[in-house]
Amino acid sequence: MAEVVFDQASRIYTPGAKPAVDRLDLTVADGDLVVLVGPSGSGKSTALRMLAGLEPIDAGSVRINGRDVVDVPPKDRDIAMVFQNYALYPSKTVAENMAFPLKMRGMDKEERADRVRQAAEMLGLTEYLDRKPKALSGGQRQRVAMGRAIVREPQVFLMDEPLSNLDAKMRVQTRAQIAEMQNRLAVSTVYVTHDQVEAMTMGDKVAVLADGRLQQYATPPELYDRPANAFVAGFIGSPAMNLLELPRSSTGVTLGGIEIPLPRDISDAAGSRDRLTVGIRPEDWVLESTDSDGGSVIKAVVDVVEELGSESYLYAHLAEDTSTSIVVRGPGRVKVRFGDPIAVRPNSDTLHVFDVESGERLDGQ
Amino acid sequence: MTATLEERPAPAANVGGAAMIDRAEGWRRRAPLLPALVFTIVVTQIPFILTLFYSLQSWNLVRPGSQEFVWFSNYVDVFTDSQFRQVALNTVVMTLGSVLIAVALGLLLALLLNRQFLGRGVVRTLLITPFLITPVAAALLWRTVLLDPTLGLVNFVLSPFGASGTEWISQFPLASVMAALVWQWTPFMMLLLLAGLQSQPSDQLEAARVDGASAWSVFRELTLPHLRRFIELGVVLGTIYLVNTFDTVYMMTQGGPGVASANLPFYIYQRAFLGFDIGQSAAMGVVVVIITLIAASFALRLLFRSFSGEEELT
Repeated sequence: MAEVVFDQASRIYTPGAKPAVDRLDLTVADGDLVVLVGPSGSGKSTALRMLAGLEPIDAGSVRINGRDVVDVPPKDRDIAMVFQNYALYPSKTVAENMAFPLKMRGMDKEERADRVRQAAEMLGLTEYLDRKPKALSGGQRQRVAMGRAIVREPQVFLMDEPLSNLDAKMRVQTRAQIAEMQNRLAVSTVYVTHDQVEAMTMGDKVAVLADGRLQQYATPPELYDRPANAFVAGFIGSPAMNLLELPRSSTGVTLGGIEIPLPRDISDAAGSRDRLTVGIRPEDWVLESTDSDGGSVIKAVVDVVEELGSESYLYAHLAEDTSTSIVVRGPGRVKVRFGDPIAVRPNSDTLHVFDVESGERLDGQ
Repeated sequence: MTATLEERPAPAANVGGAAMIDRAEGWRRRAPLLPALVFTIVVTQIPFILTLFYSLQSWNLVRPGSQEFVWFSNYVDVFTDSQFRQVALNTVVMTLGSVLIAVALGLLLALLLNRQFLGRGVVRTLLITPFLITPVAAALLWRTVLLDPTLGLVNFVLSPFGASGTEWISQFPLASVMAALVWQWTPFMMLLLLAGLQSQPSDQLEAARVDGASAWSVFRELTLPHLRRFIELGVVLGTIYLVNTFDTVYMMTQGGPGVASANLPFYIYQRAFLGFDIGQSAAMGVVVVIITLIAASFALRLLFRSFSGEEELT
């Protein structure tokens, strides 16, 4: 069990160029599952590999349980890693694969077999122990990779997109299994993914990275309710939050011919800026009757309707300003079709307001 | 069946027609391959049948009119010829010895070249060079520039250690020929094994590092099993080429002293074109072809099994 600390840790591939990971500060509390999430090239995998010792730490430090590991080789960091492509050893059987880290630590044969048997039972791999990885399905290979990490009983688990090679159904199933297993073993875990759904569902805390920099580090509800900047706001949530750059009016902002009042604290924080980026989640629109008075609703024309059963998403463009598109969540059964007019009104209590230039959240706190 | 056909003449005619078209179509598709087939038969099978025929004759070119049919007495002579047995043993030692040493050296050099270091490109090019040299030129180089007792570089380098004047080629004829062969074939093995090393997924190596494996364990537990089929390929290909070695033997030692460094191709050549004993050498040729066929089919089966993708993970 261990606490992991990134302290201004940086990875610079070419001197002078933009760092792949730029002064990352992150603390993984003992027993937590922390998800690093971000788009391609955000530095999330690099950060994980720095913790694993597979990438050097060019500046700052990384500590596991208080011990600075900058100069410690991977094998002495007491970590176990699950790779995206599982990195199973093709010439070894499942049992040999899982026993490999134990064998490398000089554990005797019987204890090795014992631990492998336990892990295999836990993962439902008992009947496959004598097979080679080649003869396993993707999901089974994934479990072998997990097993190889578990038998070690390490201080920290590192997982690098372990679900990205599974099909959608398997992924959801395995996601829950990993979260459950991590809770049971209570081993600190750093989990990398590009999928914000995985991040939100699995993480005790989630670190959102972009361009090598930490954007926000918070619990999933906090990320969703109070994104620290426009990037996080757009990245977390599916479909993405509507981010609209709107001109200020006397009491708020104007959109589609109507005025959206801003709460006092936001309005104060916005100061004298004459344009603001306003974020409205798809579920924060209220669908109104199309015959409503033009002064209080925004008229839009539907482009696409996605019906998911329990809810539906309407992709529409504004009637007045056809270049502005919005996504609106509607009930499960909607009558509207392509080209139909709709009328919507944003719920002004749940607006997210950001600075146009820096993208920073504006709410006076 | 006949009754059915008579009752329905139309479909029957169609069936016959379709079969005829199929046959014609089949020949039309095969026809372009025929020249290659005929050519291959003419240049490989006809000489072999002639050799079989000669091997049953007593026929010496220096005694005109001596040709007569002697059944299998040439074959009996081959198996009772102690020189033939000596030469066969030489061939095995020369071929397998050179191939295995070349594989071992090639592996070491491939491991070296698989690392990043300053001047790697230059080193790689220099290491490949021996493979690009004509075998005759390489043999000459070894006989004169390197192994010559008075002018050779080897003796020059060894002279501080008191080894000057060693007659390498006459004292160690087989080893000298093998040295030249190893020198020529190590680059081939090196390239093959380097390709193998570079096809090893890097995440497996990283996983092993995280799992606590030392460099030696990674090599023994992961790299060597991964390279197994590349090593097998190198051994089989190298053996196929080296079992036919002629030029190096001819240029360096002429098979001598005696038959100490002769291999089968060279010995058969000696018997046929220096001894003019056509029947005897034809019989030897046939024996060698049969043994080679047996060995090659085992080797190729091993190779195809290795490359059937049994251990490939995608």
